[in-house]
Amino acid sequence: MSSSAPATDDLIAQLDRLAGEFATAIAPLDDEQAMRATAAQFLGKKGQVSAVMKELGRLPPADRPRVGEAANRVKDAIAAAVEARLAALAEGKRAADLARRLDLTLPARPVATGHLHLLTQVRLELVEIFAELGFAVAEGPQIETDWHTFEALAMPKDHPARDMQDTFYVADEIVLRTHTSPVQIRTMQAHPPPIRIVAPGVVYRRDDDATHSPMFQQIEGLLVDRGVRFSDLKGVLTHFANRFFGGAGGLEVRFRPSYFPFVEPGVEVDFTCAFCRGTGCRLCKGTGWIEIGGAGMVDPEVFAHVGIDPEVYTGFAFGMGIERMAMLRHNVSDIKLYYEGDLRFLQQF
Amino acid sequence: MKALWSWLLELCDLPNAPTVEEGVRALTAGGLEIEGLTDLGAGFSGVVVAEVVGKRPHPQSTKLSLVDVIVARDGAATQVVCGAPNVPEPGRKVLWARPGATLPGGMTLGTKPVKGIDSPGMLCAEDELGIGDDEAGIIVLADGDPTALGAPAQRALGVDDWLLDVNVPANRGDCLGHEGLARELAALLGGRLVTHDVSADLAELASPLSTAELVELAIDDALGCPRYVARVVDGVTVGPSPRRFAQRLRAVGVRPISNLVDVTNYVLFELGQPLHAFDWHRLAGPPRIGVRRAATGERLTTLDGTDRALLDTDLVITDGTGPIALAGVMGGQSTEVTASTRRVLLESASFEPRAIRRTARRTGLLSEASQRFERGVDPALAGRAAARAATLMARLGGGTIAIGAVDFDRRPPARAAVPLRLARAQALTGTALSEAAVGDALERLGCAATADGDGRWLVTPPTARTDLGREVDLIEDVLRVVGYGNVPATLPPTTAAPQALVAGTADRVRRALAGAGLAEAITFGFQSPARVAALGLPADDRRAQPIPVRNPMSLDQAMMRTSLVPNLVAAIARNVSFGVADVALFEVGSVFLRAAGQPTTGEPTGLADEPIGACVALAGSRPRRFAAPAPWDVYDAKGFALAALAALGVTEVIVTATSEVPYLHPGIAAKLTHAGAVIGCVGELHPDVRARLGVEVPVFIAELDLSAIPPRGPALMRPVPRFPASSRDISLLVPEALPAAEVAAVIAGAAEPLLERVALAEEYRDVDKLGADRKSQLWSVSYRAADRTLTDVEIDAAHEGIVARLTAALPAQRR
Repeated sequence: MSSSAPATDDLIAQLDRLAGEFATAIAPLDDEQAMRATAAQFLGKKGQVSAVMKELGRLPPADRPRVGEAANRVKDAIAAAVEARLAALAEGKRAADLARRLDLTLPARPVATGHLHLLTQVRLELVEIFAELGFAVAEGPQIETDWHTFEALAMPKDHPARDMQDTFYVADEIVLRTHTSPVQIRTMQAHPPPIRIVAPGVVYRRDDDATHSPMFQQIEGLLVDRGVRFSDLKGVLTHFANRFFGGAGGLEVRFRPSYFPFVEPGVEVDFTCAFCRGTGCRLCKGTGWIEIGGAGMVDPEVFAHVGIDPEVYTGFAFGMGIERMAMLRHNVSDIKLYYEGDLRFLQQF
Repeated sequence: MKALWSWLLELCDLPNAPTVEEGVRALTAGGLEIEGLTDLGAGFSGVVVAEVVGKRPHPQSTKLSLVDVIVARDGAATQVVCGAPNVPEPGRKVLWARPGATLPGGMTLGTKPVKGIDSPGMLCAEDELGIGDDEAGIIVLADGDPTALGAPAQRALGVDDWLLDVNVPANRGDCLGHEGLARELAALLGGRLVTHDVSADLAELASPLSTAELVELAIDDALGCPRYVARVVDGVTVGPSPRRFAQRLRAVGVRPISNLVDVTNYVLFELGQPLHAFDWHRLAGPPRIGVRRAATGERLTTLDGTDRALLDTDLVITDGTGPIALAGVMGGQSTEVTASTRRVLLESASFEPRAIRRTARRTGLLSEASQRFERGVDPALAGRAAARAATLMARLGGGTIAIGAVDFDRRPPARAAVPLRLARAQALTGTALSEAAVGDALERLGCAATADGDGRWLVTPPTARTDLGREVDLIEDVLRVVGYGNVPATLPPTTAAPQALVAGTADRVRRALAGAGLAEAITFGFQSPARVAALGLPADDRRAQPIPVRNPMSLDQAMMRTSLVPNLVAAIARNVSFGVADVALFEVGSVFLRAAGQPTTGEPTGLADEPIGACVALAGSRPRRFAAPAPWDVYDAKGFALAALAALGVTEVIVTATSEVPYLHPGIAAKLTHAGAVIGCVGELHPDVRARLGVEVPVFIAELDLSAIPPRGPALMRPVPRFPASSRDISLLVPEALPAAEVAAVIAGAAEPLLERVALAEEYRDVDKLGADRKSQLWSVSYRAADRTLTDVEIDAAHEGIVARLTAALPAQRR
């Protein structure tokens, strides 16, 4: 420290110079931390401003306020310079950010969208529709006893109705189930009425052409309770027709008498063609109706096999092919497409 | 069953003369679906009935004639050139295709010169009209044919008719004859059945002989043959049947043979009763006809010339020397009717359906007769059918009928009348059925019903309706007549307490894998022996012991699948062959394994185990933005497996390298273990296996046994952390062969309470710096406490503890 007293004006000039030095010092800096560090060099305890201020005590008291003002001016100037520089930097960054240009017509980064098989989608939807009416899902084995598949369903050996379903056998009394109806039997054996189930599943028949596959899927419905009527079957299927084909109540169900040994009365079920609304088109071959499946009232002989009293309980059952439902609604032309694992087909749905 | 509209109309009396379309609609609505309706006369047009009024030779040809024909009684004659040798004398009728007529095949006739003389159209032969195979000459109508001159030829030929192709339900054997269908028409349209009364004919055509003196019945098997009616027609001359008679048979699909044989077929189609005609003189005399089961080892040469070994389940007709016919299936050659037959023994019988079915199936002789016996022929029909056939034979063959029939009749006693309750009918159908409507329907169905006036009936159905044995059968038939269109749509009672609908494990996995970007395939439950073998499984693996299908449709479908892998990999091969190289498929479905305690080869003795599996198969590249491929690898397969398991709430999975899955690459395979049980595997498909399955590119597989995964309850909430976590890294130098899971296991094994998560952040190899057998791993470990923010001191202490364990327990060095 010099022994001679500093000139007040010199000190003020020094302080004012420091403000300019600071601005020069931070000009090349582009991050806030470095600027703050530089500011500390000027303003901190060992900073240049403090060094000047240490001389303050040696000034005449009258001059001190003026130097104090100058010091505050420097402090403010430094703070303002930091803020301005930061603002300029931020603005520069923002401008650079906004100057970026990308070609959004370039291909997207693919998000793999998987595909549930069309038959799975349709099956899940069928189950959901019947769930709305209180039907729960039941399942059973695909390799099934002859008894569950035929005998308990009123088709003893040598029954002519067995001709309707050409059966794959694995042993004398063991078959690949030809329909999901054995699940009815298993359910009625396991649970007393009331019963309200749908049984979707894979079935097998020796048949192979554009509309028949040796393996296909059916969904079976069974409702057994006191006071179940044939008209209830019609009502349930009418609800289903309108839900599945989007009929908004406009689709009707037609019953045609038919024969299935395990139901009586037995019917073939037709729906109003959902595409032409019954006026006749290519899909319904001009009839206004499309065939959906078989149904009927559970035959007393079936009840006898599972120990249900037909005078107390009545019930209905229905069955339909899931492939056919999908074909009708999605215009699938060949049943083989479902089972070939061809991605060009699978990815369409 | 093929039926002719004219034949049906002959057998019933219907109000308002319905059109064929109305008949078809009624039958279809009644449950007899008409699958086809053919206009038999549609093959030609413009061909008319003409009468020959003069003929002379063609001046230019000895083979040609000039024929004058008229098409109106007093009309002008037209000269037609004809090349047939059988131009009749004036007065007989022929069929003239006039100019403008069209013939089958589309030819249109005009006026053309034949050897210098114009011929306006032509006179027609059977083959030219597509109605028969007689090409020997033109059609000459029978002397006295009543068809009007100028009428369409169709009328004269009996082809102005409709052929109905009726889909007869399995329980309606009674509708396998025109009479049964006519009964249905009458019931549905409100008419009446017409039965031929043959008593006058029988009297008129009676011979001096008595049937009882010509044939004796000695039937041992009354169960196999509850009814056998024999009649004898004498003095017949075998010849062709009249054209219209033969035309009916041809129309329904039976080739006319001779008048005698044609009559048996005609009555079969008319009444539904199969008949057989024996040449009486060729029977071992005096004929003593028996019906019994064949003795094993007996032989019979049937009509088709085949010498057949018989079984003791076959019913045979015998004549004292041995079998002469396979009952209900086919006659024997030694007693068949021939051109020289003079006396016929006519058999009209009922046979046990099951016996006929078995014999017909075994011999492959599915005849019109066996099809009807299989479904059951009304024993009450036998007498009427025999009489009808006898009169037709006598008329067509110019013979006489021996007096009386020999009738073995062991029909079961008539069924008791069936009670029917109106209240039950209403309750079951949900349909407003009045007492009057039910009574009317019963009458139309031909049922004899006694009403008690209180909504109850005792009903005796027609004997032919063997399907009407219970109240519910009657309710169905009454409703059929009332019309199913009258059934309202109602909703069922809601007393059923449905079980909760839970998305099954299989569907949850399907949704997860589809959500992860894979496409679901569904392949057959079958597989080929080659595909089973392709997996290279040891013989004692249940998957190497597939259950064979006894009667597969092809070798590809010869056995039940034991694994989802082969069919799915084959699907990859198929896609690749279609030019789709990037294939990411999954399948969730049942496989079929022999249950414990059952034989390991051959036919199973009980039901199979049907576990549900999930399989992912990846080939080619994952979806990408640009052309550069981003090939799938085994870690993708592992990721899909873990995603599927996570969807089931299974997050704690132990992954262990394995070389025990024979169809996976021995160095790139791992098994997945959860709760102590192996639940699946992931890996690259073994190169040998993929080659056997026809795939040349690497395939990555994930396989899960969903049935081995224990069901889990709902996921329970864990508290969301309120204090921050801190992480520390460890860089380790480890041997190349050290599995990452072992490092993670040591860290987890430290049971450090503050440890939250361990992750491998980076793996680094550098042959020059680290050597070929070592690699560097950067592990990131995070720490957290539930109740406070951790201090650096706490974290460092925990972390150093873990590092110390790692270097102590593993051949690992800290870097």
